[in-house]
Amino acid sequence: MKQLIALDINDQIYEVPVDPWDLLSDVIRKKVRLTGTKKGCEQGDCGACTVLINGQAVLSCLTLAIACQGKKITTIEGLAEQDGRLHPIQQSFVDYGAVQCGFCTSGMILSSKALLDSNPKPGREEIKRALSGNLCRCTGYKKIIEAVEVASETMSKEGVK
Amino acid sequence: MFLNHFEYFAPQAAKDALDLCDRLGAKAKILAGGTDLLNLMKDKLLKPEYLIDINNVDEFKGIFYEPGKGAVIGAATKISEIERSEIIREKYFALHQAAGELGSVQVRNMATIGGNICNASPAAETPTPLVALGAKVVISSLSGDREMPLEEFILGNGETALAEGEILTKFLLPEPISGSVSRYGYIGLRDAMEIDAVNLAVNLALGEDGRIIKQLKLVMGSVFPRPLVSEEAPEILIGKEFSAELAEEAARAASSESKPISDIRASAEYRREIVAVLSRRLLQEAFSAAQGEV
Ligand SMILES: Cc1cc2nc3c(=O)[nH]c(=O)nc-3n(C[C@H](O)[C@H](O)[C@H](O)COP(=O)(O)OP(=O)(O)OC[C@H]3O[C@@H](n4cnc5c(N)ncnc54)[C@H](O)[C@@H]3O)c2cc1C
Ligand code: FES
Ligand code: FES
Repeated sequence: MKQLIALDINDQIYEVPVDPWDLLSDVIRKKVRLTGTKKGCEQGDCGACTVLINGQAVLSCLTLAIACQGKKITTIEGLAEQDGRLHPIQQSFVDYGAVQCGFCTSGMILSSKALLDSNPKPGREEIKRALSGNLCRCTGYKKIIEAVEVASETMSKEGVK
Repeated sequence: MFLNHFEYFAPQAAKDALDLCDRLGAKAKILAGGTDLLNLMKDKLLKPEYLIDINNVDEFKGIFYEPGKGAVIGAATKISEIERSEIIREKYFALHQAAGELGSVQVRNMATIGGNICNASPAAETPTPLVALGAKVVISSLSGDREMPLEEFILGNGETALAEGEILTKFLLPEPISGSVSRYGYIGLRDAMEIDAVNLAVNLALGEDGRIIKQLKLVMGSVFPRPLVSEEAPEILIGKEFSAELAEEAARAASSESKPISDIRASAEYRREIVAVLSRRLLQEAFSAAQGEV
């Protein structure tokens, strides 16, 4: 019962055959082969599978791929420039030691992006609240929060989205 | 984790959604945000043969307010839209507070208010404030609409008054009476992403003089299979001048009315104590805020 659907991921159209029960996380990783999106708990708790749909942070492990036709999906692979230059949020995560094992990082960065897009100058509490659905077992969160604060400054200074 | 095999429908019009519901009956499940449903399917607790995705039906979405009449909230409205709504914040503050406490940003962007109610978890965030605010639900089927108070819709843990072929389509919130204020609060084991041990909402109105309590509804969550409306707290407070002593008495009465269980999140004894603590705190907060209103 596979059906060919078109998914708009990082401004590129991918035509993929899916079954209705295929989850977006599996389709992105196994069919589109963008493996930056991670799967941790697969039940909505950890945020490792976070992607943006029409600019909003959602969990790809609880989303049916078939329901995503006609929507704009952004994964971590969509953030850097074509020439490989990192997005300011990615860069500050690297610079400020907010990445250890890296498993949570894609989700953390996408949640941060959704936050900064709607609230370019968030306070510390707002950052914590925006990232409360992303679990990190390594860093203790402090450096992640600092990295988001720095990214917020860089982005407003340079006028980056 | 895999889902069972099913056929997927994504109707655009309300009529088509109701048609599918009628035709497929008990073999179908409504898919709203999927944050409860897909988890239940992953755990093999549910194996529907059909999913009817209602996210593309515009008639089931949105927040509409008419002065003097109140608000209508579509069942498929996202929790994040309710959290951000200015009118909900202004007129139905307890619901605004509860929406902001549900899950994480991601969960709120996906989850709907109708899903929160139809899932009917005793620990859920929105039933308590909605009952306190006097919400009614509209249930639709091919044969038409029926309305009932939310108290009567939620029957128990996971049980609602929905019959086969029916969809919950709207919530009706009455215009708040003058001088009224609502507040919501909860206690869990940690701040974010926690299932509440107890949650509570009060809706309190003061008379013109700004002292006498004209109306009160106090609703407890997670201490009974469905939202529990206190009968004694209003008897103690309505018609009286607000005081810390009376609030304490009402809080104790609500606590003794609650019928919590012990589970991994909290003991029954702790929950009863928390009902008293939250009742006292929210009554005081609502009273102070209501004084500012009149
Ligand atoms: C990580 C995580 C954290 C969470 N935290 C909280 C929390 O803090 N507080 C809380 O209350 N909940 C929480 N939840 C539970 C869940 O997110 C909410 O209950 C949510 O509101 C469910 O809405 P939904 O749209 O996702 O429902 P769905 O999963 O789509 O549906 C739930 C059920 O209701 C039925 N249904 C949905 N809409 C309708 C309708 N209009 N008519 C008839 N039937 C319908 C479905 O068939 C299904 O049986 C959490 C979930 C996750 C995964
Ligand atoms: S894998 Fe989706 S939230 Fe954990
Ligand atoms: S860096 Fe390892 S989980 Fe966050």
